[in-house]
Amino acid sequence: MSALVIAAVLVAGAVGAVIRYLLSRAYPVRPGHLPGGILVVNVVGSGIAGAVIGLAERAAVSDDLRLVLVTGFCGGLTTFSTWCVETIELADGGRWRAAILNVLVTLALGIGAALGLYLLVR
Amino acid sequence: MPPSLAVFVGGLLGTGLRLALDTVLPHADDGFPWSTFIANLLGTFVLGWLAGGLWTRPSTPPWLKAGIGSGLIGSFTTLSAVMGAVAILDREEATALAALYLGVSLVAGLALAAAGLKVGSSLAHRPMPTEVTDDGATL
Repeated sequence: MSALVIAAVLVAGAVGAVIRYLLSRAYPVRPGHLPGGILVVNVVGSGIAGAVIGLAERAAVSDDLRLVLVTGFCGGLTTFSTWCVETIELADGGRWRAAILNVLVTLALGIGAALGLYLLVR
Repeated sequence: MPPSLAVFVGGLLGTGLRLALDTVLPHADDGFPWSTFIANLLGTFVLGWLAGGLWTRPSTPPWLKAGIGSGLIGSFTTLSAVMGAVAILDREEATALAALYLGVSLVAGLALAAAGLKVGSSLAHRPMPTEVTDDGATL
């Protein structure tokens, strides 16, 4: 792993984090709606990761680029901590249906996007 | 500091820490992804602890919350690596391990988020009562 690749991974992760931050501000958790920005970035990031892992398997994407895109960009774009904490905050606030929906929809769409695109492109 | 810049700086640090953990704890394609697992659970507890406590205080600046929460912890933890590992485990025909990894990550993540929020609440903002409102019902 060269210094340039490490730097590229870190910058890609930081750019992903800023996109997630801006989307989470634009589409916060609201009653009666799907849990917004975090759901979108988690599903989109999982899908990109699945696709890039699949492309890397047939050498359409180099190992370095895979590291930058998957570990860097997708890792920074998606988040596990906010997903869990927001779910518990919804449940603590008595909004059990929204909490359960947040878990199930993220899991279903995340697995669907990652596994689906992985199988499609590899 | 503008919040977006704080998120960028936090994102550099969080991604770097996760990359370091991946390097220290590598795993085989058909093995349990310990580095992501540890990062996700550690980050979730700390985020819950902060969100339940210190961040409820009005004196905490918004850029600090954004930089540490969305930036550092948000990019240290990741869902795409979990989903990517599930896809690879599926290819390796380690479906049971994939289900176990996903299930344990989810249950432990939610439990640690709840524990973090609860432990953190001892540091939560407690507003001083400045005036007693009287709606006529109880007084």
